[in-house]
Amino acid sequence: MTLTERTEQPAGTRRPALRLRGIRKAYGPVVACDAVDLTVHTGEIHGLLGENGAGKSTLMKILLGLVPRDDGLILHHGRPVAIASPHEAMALGLGMVHQHFSLIGPLTVWENVILGDSGRIDRAEACAQVETIGKRYGLPVDPTTRVDRLSAGERQRVELIKCLRRDPSVLILDEPTSVLTQAESAELFTVLRRLVQTEERAVILISHKLAEITTATDRVTVLRRGRVVFEARTRQTSPQELARQMVGREVSLRAEGAALGLGALPVDGPEGTAAAEPATAPDPAVPATPTTTSEPAALRLRDVTVTVGGITVLDQLNLDVRAGEIVGLYGVEGNGQATLGDLLCGLVVPAAGTVELAGAPVDLTRPGALHRAGLGIVPEDRHRSGVVLDMSVAENLAMKSLGDVSGRMLLSRRKMHAVAQRLAAEFNIVTPSMDTPVRSLSGGNQQRVVLAREMSANPAVLVAAQPTRGLDVGAIEDMYQRLNRAAADGVAVLLISTELEEVMALASRIAVISAGRITGVLPTREATAERLGMLVGGVTG
Amino acid sequence: MNGRQAADGTGRRILARLAPGPANWRVVGVTILAVAAALGLSALLIAVTGGSPVASVQALFQGSMADPTAWSSTLLFTAPLLLVALGVCVSARSGFFNLGQEGQVLIGAMAATWVALRLAIPGPVLLVVTFLVAALAAGAWAGLSSLMYRFRGVNVVVSTMLMTFLAQQLVAYMVTTPWLLQESRIGTGTVSPQSNKVPANALLGSVGEYPNLQLNAGLLLALATAVAVAVVLTRTRWGFRLKMVGLNPVTAESAGVRVAALGGFALAVSGALAGLAGAVLLTSPVGTNRLQAGISNNIGWDGLLVALVARNRPLVAIPVAVLFGVLRSGGGFLAATGVPPFLVDVVKALLVLAFVAPPVVMNLISRRSTGRAGRIVSTPARVPEEAVA
Repeated sequence: MTLTERTEQPAGTRRPALRLRGIRKAYGPVVACDAVDLTVHTGEIHGLLGENGAGKSTLMKILLGLVPRDDGLILHHGRPVAIASPHEAMALGLGMVHQHFSLIGPLTVWENVILGDSGRIDRAEACAQVETIGKRYGLPVDPTTRVDRLSAGERQRVELIKCLRRDPSVLILDEPTSVLTQAESAELFTVLRRLVQTEERAVILISHKLAEITTATDRVTVLRRGRVVFEARTRQTSPQELARQMVGREVSLRAEGAALGLGALPVDGPEGTAAAEPATAPDPAVPATPTTTSEPAALRLRDVTVTVGGITVLDQLNLDVRAGEIVGLYGVEGNGQATLGDLLCGLVVPAAGTVELAGAPVDLTRPGALHRAGLGIVPEDRHRSGVVLDMSVAENLAMKSLGDVSGRMLLSRRKMHAVAQRLAAEFNIVTPSMDTPVRSLSGGNQQRVVLAREMSANPAVLVAAQPTRGLDVGAIEDMYQRLNRAAADGVAVLLISTELEEVMALASRIAVISAGRITGVLPTREATAERLGMLVGGVTG
Repeated sequence: MNGRQAADGTGRRILARLAPGPANWRVVGVTILAVAAALGLSALLIAVTGGSPVASVQALFQGSMADPTAWSSTLLFTAPLLLVALGVCVSARSGFFNLGQEGQVLIGAMAATWVALRLAIPGPVLLVVTFLVAALAAGAWAGLSSLMYRFRGVNVVVSTMLMTFLAQQLVAYMVTTPWLLQESRIGTGTVSPQSNKVPANALLGSVGEYPNLQLNAGLLLALATAVAVAVVLTRTRWGFRLKMVGLNPVTAESAGVRVAALGGFALAVSGALAGLAGAVLLTSPVGTNRLQAGISNNIGWDGLLVALVARNRPLVAIPVAVLFGVLRSGGGFLAATGVPPFLVDVVKALLVLAFVAPPVVMNLISRRSTGRAGRIVSTPARVPEEAVA
């Protein structure tokens, strides 16, 4: 199928590029998709909205031939198709850019792009293709660069080029903006718009961010618990309406709204591009409103520098968090947040600089020193560093305070259970029993296990790194309330997040991280999209 | 930052699959079928090589369980097998896989010989010191592997296994060098590549008086150790931390566990238990009470298999070790009936496969049937991205 074969359709009477009829897929007793209908027309960007577990990814896996469907019909340009394998999907022109990039870091861009091709490799031809496609769609990238030297935005371009090279009739993007700055996101949507308008392709945009759906799509379909609950022209609906359909009830809470991307960002005032933060180098982390209290900050990072493999990931990072406040550390993913999280987990020892709790420096070479000094952390990747999936709920809750659940010699299973029962009740952990392995809990309950364990040690400082990633709305709301309550109880809370709405809704001060440095700290009420955008981009003032 | 996990990732995945799970009746059923198939196949092999399957089973039974004498011989093999298997349980829990038991058994036996022959310690104290030194020496031997890993990143599985060949050469040298441990020349007689017989006060005696049945103290030591290891692994803080390290070293480290130190220590403990097995082989009537290059007699490898079948559960290892003891003592008897001895090894291998394979195979089957989603290669952008930030 080539571009010329696809004839221009008069607007309004467009033929659907893809029709799904009554798609059903059940995993055992769990019905992931139930009688799902979806119609995607050429020349439109179709938004697919839904909470985690609503069935979006299952539907797309069916479409890509990764999962066999139990029932239902797929019509491609009016013809019923089986799509029994990924190859068949590829032959039909269904291409997808996954949320987590499937690129190989040590290979160059052109090598990644032709990966999976058969036949002879022609380097010059491949490079030329990458450049041609890049030029046509406004996706500039050097084909001879190694992928691990590219930024997240550039990697996304590579993924797009990889897909577009196969000339897809339907392009699926799964949460494409989660690693992009706002400017990069806007750029991406321009490219998508060009794709559907000038080339008669169709795009399915999967997202849980309402703002994105409303600005970038033509039609929107909302999935809830495996069913299509709403379908409309984007122009004729509103973010509030979409939120209501997605959650299944009225969304009122500010925190909940933020979770859904409803949080209204203050627009820049007349002063507009006023200097974001007076550049007081070498210490740009001095708060904009220095609340001069005599007591030391509960958590102070001082000139923390971490190098990994010769590359400076955290670069003289300075940050203060005081008791009773929530400081949001905002930035685009991949600017050192993960390493900072590992540092505060006690997994990374800085090359220089200190971490101080209540004014006393902590010896990070001693395992568990941060925990003993009163720092609790909900890590970004809970499966990696938050829980042991194959150990029970009770064991996971007790693992940082074994002394409390031991007799003179042996662990007391009775005490462990008592503690677990108490924490499960207090933190609403839904589990069949305390002996259930954490692996079989839902993401939200796993996260509650981590939070319950960390809070049970009565920490002076709580670090929450991307605490709501992968959680459904109810669990997000719960997490927000608990973070707010912790701060109200006098805990210093550091919220590391890439979700601007989350930071705006919870934090009283926002610190922006870019390339491993804090580029500025401002009170939330002074934070505007423009000022934050500049700081995120690394402009300190 | 986290090279350690990458290095042992495969082992950990195997560990997770072999981790004791809830009783699964389908697995039990398939295992029974697999064992039946293995026995059938064994019978066929014996018949094909010209033996009689019925006579073979009889011989196997005669040599291992038919009377108290046969039982005595079975249980003499059980003790060292169990001790080795317990060591495997400890190291496998921690995710630091020790495959060097055979060598550690040899080192333990060698150290025990040296103490028993060279230290003039009176009375039963000699026996105690012999066992302690055997454990310490084999533990230190295994500990070398953890040092190699810590300072040079040498894979533990590979280094522990290769150290076995070193241990074999070392023991061979010891028993062929007169001023080391070779037996003393009496008159003008020839000397064999073996040590002198250890003195009587360094021998493990029998417990209790039963007609024809010998219950060697080594078995009691092994059983007591099994209970102790079970309690330590499941009921103590140390065992809890060990389990954490084995299942998720990153979380363990962030929970304040010294992962490298704990894993290295677990490796040493595992070696020490194999060393005890070596001392039992030397001092119990299972052998000649002399150090010989072949004293370990594959007990180290078989102990690994015991733990594999018992899936690293110390108490389950007891009956499995008895089963392997049956195969050893019965196997010796079987060879006397004309069945080639290597066939006994084949039968043993088939049985191990029959016990070990079903859970893994069923795991694979259930993975296949739940869809191929797992095959998507997805590289999270954020991991390498830190490097370019």
